[in-house]
Amino acid sequence: MTTRPVIDPVSLEVIRNALTAIAEEMSMVVMRAARSPLLREAGDHSSALTDAQGFLVAQGADVPVHLGVLSFTVREFLARVPAERLAPGDVWILNLPEIGGNHLPDVKLIRPVFRDGALYAFSISLAHWADVGGAMPGSYFAEARDAWAEGLRMPPTRLVAGEALDEEKLALILANVRGPDERKGDILAQIAATTVAARRLDELAAKHGTAWMTAAFEAIHDRAERQMAEAIRAIPNGVYRGEDFMDDDGHSGPPVPIRVTVTIEDETATFDFSDSADAVPGPINTTKFIAGAAVFYAMKALYGPDIQPSGGCYRPLKVVTRPGSIADAPYDRPVVGGNHETCQRLADAIFHALIPVAAPLLSAGGPTTAGLLIFGTRTEAGWQTFYEVHPGGEGARIDRDGMASTRVHLANVMNTPAEVIEAEYPITVEFQRLRAGSGGEGAHRGGEGILRGYRMRGDDTTVTTMFERAVVPPYGLDGGAPGAPFGAVLTRADGRSERLRGKQNIRIARGDLVVVESSGGGGYGRSAVAETAAE
Amino acid sequence: MEGWRLGIDIGGTFTDVIAVAPGGGSRRSAKVPSQPQEPIRAIVDAIGAVGLDWSEVSEIVHGTTIVTNDIVESRFPPCALIATEGFADTIEIARGSRRSLYRMEALPRPAPLVPAALRFEVAERLDHEGHVTRALTEAEIARVVAEVRASGAEAVAVCLLHAFRNPEHEARLGAALREHVPHVSLSHEVSPEFREYERMNTTVLNAMMMGKIKRHLGLIAARKPEGSQLHLMHSASGMAAPALIAERPLMLAMSGPAAGVSASCKAAADLGISHAVTFDMGGTTTDVCLIVEGQAQIAVNRDLGGQRIRMPMVAVDSIGAGGGSIARLVSGALMVGPESAGARPGPACYGKGGTEPTVSDADMILGHLNPARTLGGAITLSMDKAEAAIAPLAQAMGFTVPQAAAGIARVVHANMARALRRATVERGLDIRSFEMVAFGGAGPMHAVEVARLCGIGRIVVPAFSSGFSALGCVDAVMSYSRQMSVGRKSTAWDGVQLSAAVATQVAELSAALVEAGHDAAALVTRMTAGIRYSGQSYETEIPAPVLDDPAALGAQFDAAHRALYGYATGEAWELASLRIEVSAPVEHPAVATEAAVPDTTPTGHRRVTFETGEGADVPILDRAALPPGLRLQGPLIVEDAWSTVIVPPQDALTADAAGNLLIEVAQ
Repeated sequence: MTTRPVIDPVSLEVIRNALTAIAEEMSMVVMRAARSPLLREAGDHSSALTDAQGFLVAQGADVPVHLGVLSFTVREFLARVPAERLAPGDVWILNLPEIGGNHLPDVKLIRPVFRDGALYAFSISLAHWADVGGAMPGSYFAEARDAWAEGLRMPPTRLVAGEALDEEKLALILANVRGPDERKGDILAQIAATTVAARRLDELAAKHGTAWMTAAFEAIHDRAERQMAEAIRAIPNGVYRGEDFMDDDGHSGPPVPIRVTVTIEDETATFDFSDSADAVPGPINTTKFIAGAAVFYAMKALYGPDIQPSGGCYRPLKVVTRPGSIADAPYDRPVVGGNHETCQRLADAIFHALIPVAAPLLSAGGPTTAGLLIFGTRTEAGWQTFYEVHPGGEGARIDRDGMASTRVHLANVMNTPAEVIEAEYPITVEFQRLRAGSGGEGAHRGGEGILRGYRMRGDDTTVTTMFERAVVPPYGLDGGAPGAPFGAVLTRADGRSERLRGKQNIRIARGDLVVVESSGGGGYGRSAVAETAAE
Repeated sequence: MEGWRLGIDIGGTFTDVIAVAPGGGSRRSAKVPSQPQEPIRAIVDAIGAVGLDWSEVSEIVHGTTIVTNDIVESRFPPCALIATEGFADTIEIARGSRRSLYRMEALPRPAPLVPAALRFEVAERLDHEGHVTRALTEAEIARVVAEVRASGAEAVAVCLLHAFRNPEHEARLGAALREHVPHVSLSHEVSPEFREYERMNTTVLNAMMMGKIKRHLGLIAARKPEGSQLHLMHSASGMAAPALIAERPLMLAMSGPAAGVSASCKAAADLGISHAVTFDMGGTTTDVCLIVEGQAQIAVNRDLGGQRIRMPMVAVDSIGAGGGSIARLVSGALMVGPESAGARPGPACYGKGGTEPTVSDADMILGHLNPARTLGGAITLSMDKAEAAIAPLAQAMGFTVPQAAAGIARVVHANMARALRRATVERGLDIRSFEMVAFGGAGPMHAVEVARLCGIGRIVVPAFSSGFSALGCVDAVMSYSRQMSVGRKSTAWDGVQLSAAVATQVAELSAALVEAGHDAAALVTRMTAGIRYSGQSYETEIPAPVLDDPAALGAQFDAAHRALYGYATGEAWELASLRIEVSAPVEHPAVATEAAVPDTTPTGHRRVTFETGEGADVPILDRAALPPGLRLQGPLIVEDAWSTVIVPPQDALTADAAGNLLIEVAQ
């Protein structure tokens, strides 16, 4: 009879450090060697290790939404590709949202890690490719009505077998994306990251043995489970309901509700999003995995910043979504914007639900939208795609004003400097300034959004917008006023001006000016002025 | 005048001094308390402490934390900012990101350095190639200078869009401002690279530090005898003349760590070590820096106290683990740091009111710290207090107190090993090909186990290891460096224009050295190119680039890229940046330490518990009396007045004639 090795508190911390170091090393390989602009200035990629069952054991410090997703990817992969089909020297590629995913541009490379013929871990690298095919450069198609319009759909595919890259499968992929050279660079970087991880894991396994490693993985899960249970215990038992809204159905129409019912029972919590709207026609649907990411983020931010991300932290949590709803859409629906728009709204709904018990911990509404604009210009060298997210005003808190120009919650991507934009794209940044007065009034004021003007120097440019909070503004808390909504205004070279919709594709020309007005943060508490007026 | 040469490193608590006699025949060293309110006094005290009068000193090279501390503690004087119309708020918009992902209560970033009332805009514009698209008029200059004067700010930073491509507008504004404002800092001079926020923040910080540094330098100039030279240790591990530092005080941001790195480079070179990692463990952090092919690694971006600084600086990574780091049991795992007991209250064993268990308390229990040590008379160590602090933690883990102490050491070593790996991995290097240079109060105590975890085979504990930064000052070479944006694609190579741009920078850097009295013919220029494939954002560093032959340069790049990432594509690439360093080499003769009578008789024994869990009564040897060349098998303890070296049973130690200790680490 074999007994399971005991992992003491010291060994647990030592192995946690060693595993995290491996995931960090993966991220560095991707960041330094990859080609997509998003992976460079923005760092839009994540790395993780899982146990043999696909449960997360370590991650690099990266993007929260990805890490939520990576908690599910390998498990869903294993549900379709049985472990018996995996072999040493394999690397698999996939991007289907329904397989532990989020949207097509986030491409995952998965490597099973073996020792003495036995599978004991996986390394996984996720990176946001600047293009994955589909109707529009950048693979953001605001007018999409189905999943195929959004790009190349890759089910689990063995891209590397016995450490040899399958050139034919690679060619098939590269034939279906814009910027094939860049994409090849991304793939090679991601494969290199999984390879480095396998080598490092092997060094650890050689030292400790796989039985000990497996026991350590289990200890990591157990600890994260305990941490999450402690976090849940901080919330009084009860049923809490919260609601927030998407601006529209992704194309048009009235705001669409996102609803959650949170049920706390001692050390277990259920987050049920079933009452949210049905799946919508536009590209703001999302997956149940993104719902899981939002729940994990909210719990960690409110009650347990030190919770170790691991498969174990989901044990005390139940995340319920209704198949066919916006948060668990049929596989044929467009989802590209749901990854960063609906995802943030799911978290907002949770925050609303917890107002009765957590108001002092909450921030008022912030820029829970990527505020994304994509400028695609056709040049002699091919498509030139400039992605830009826009920070907005942080929501105020019970004890301080919100800060201007920041990213909140599940997003933390940096902006692109004007000097970089002007040197690399046919666009002049005319100004970037604070949007005075955009922060909501309150005892503490919301932070200011920004104004940024982009003047086109090239012909034949397409602008794609993907932003929210244009109709339903960032909320105030405890009597604070909402922040100013997000907006974008197009002024043609001839002086005609129009307000752009949140999800729109539009062709513009040389001399046209697009001004982004990012949202202000919500205020917290009734302002002195408002109180005087009420008397 | 040939007199003594002094290296003086003014740290937060102590000022270290090392004095080299005329002719280099002998050295003296001392430690005196720092005087944060009056840094000049520490210099005067240090000169006295080595038994000298300033009139006997021909040169002082001085490292200082004045600038570092002001930035870390956010002590900023008011400063005006002038930016291109439409861009003054860049100082507040920043890069739009936040520091902590999950801590909603935390302010996303420090408050902007310049408040709205001190931000001024000027009508002018350049395009990305430096062409003027909106001219700056004299009337506009007069208007904005008048507004800045009216604001009362004594410091002003100017950061115009694309000024690093064409400095004319900034230069004209600068000339007008300098007639009226005492401290003027121009972005193309401070940080001639693209990315407006980083350049702006760096330029503002530089302007803010000018007043204090000019005062400090003025006090020294008033006090020092004529003919006695003064130089300062700058962040890129070279020394600089006071006249330059007065204009670029931000060059001192990493002065202290740079001095330690400088000394490490010298020690490594003397021992013929090409790849070394420095390991300087202090109270709250451990600083590590890589030396590759004898050169300290340089970084050009750094966050210091939450402020983004872009200047060439030694690439020192600070790990949040030091002697004061606090150990806690968090949901069943033993965590150490980053919370620290700091200098106040300090570790429990210091007896200054600290009660939480720290790394130093564990060191005490394990027998690594000498209980009789007084750290310059400032402290009396208490074993009882260390035990009392660790006992509850031990009980919670079901361990004995020594087991818990060994656990704390294991965890802190794991933290450090991870940070060391990260530092090498980031640069595509293999930590196992490095040796370690350990110094600082606690560095030599923890070095062996960290080295073992990383697969490092040999450790050097250099001579003067506790006053090592001062040694770095003494041995420093005068050097100026600058990082510049180039943005030249291989497909549109213009060697003539590139050579001209490089020549201009080299001439500027050289002129400052010639002005400081160096022979122009003896100056050495070293370049490092940053090259990337189009689409990559991280450049691969190419030392000694062949700039006049794009084919050869491309081959250099492909080879380096393959070494780093395992592949190279041979496609078009871009020379993104160049770092140029001009230095004035000097030969400092090697110095033999004053020979003590060799003696390996233990001065005593102490009970030590090692990481393996085994304990032993370990002989204590006096460092000064170790006979050179004799290989001593562990376990043993080697002590001097300021530091302790622990050699576990499986490892061995040899002293050399220069006073270095070499530890072979068993794997």
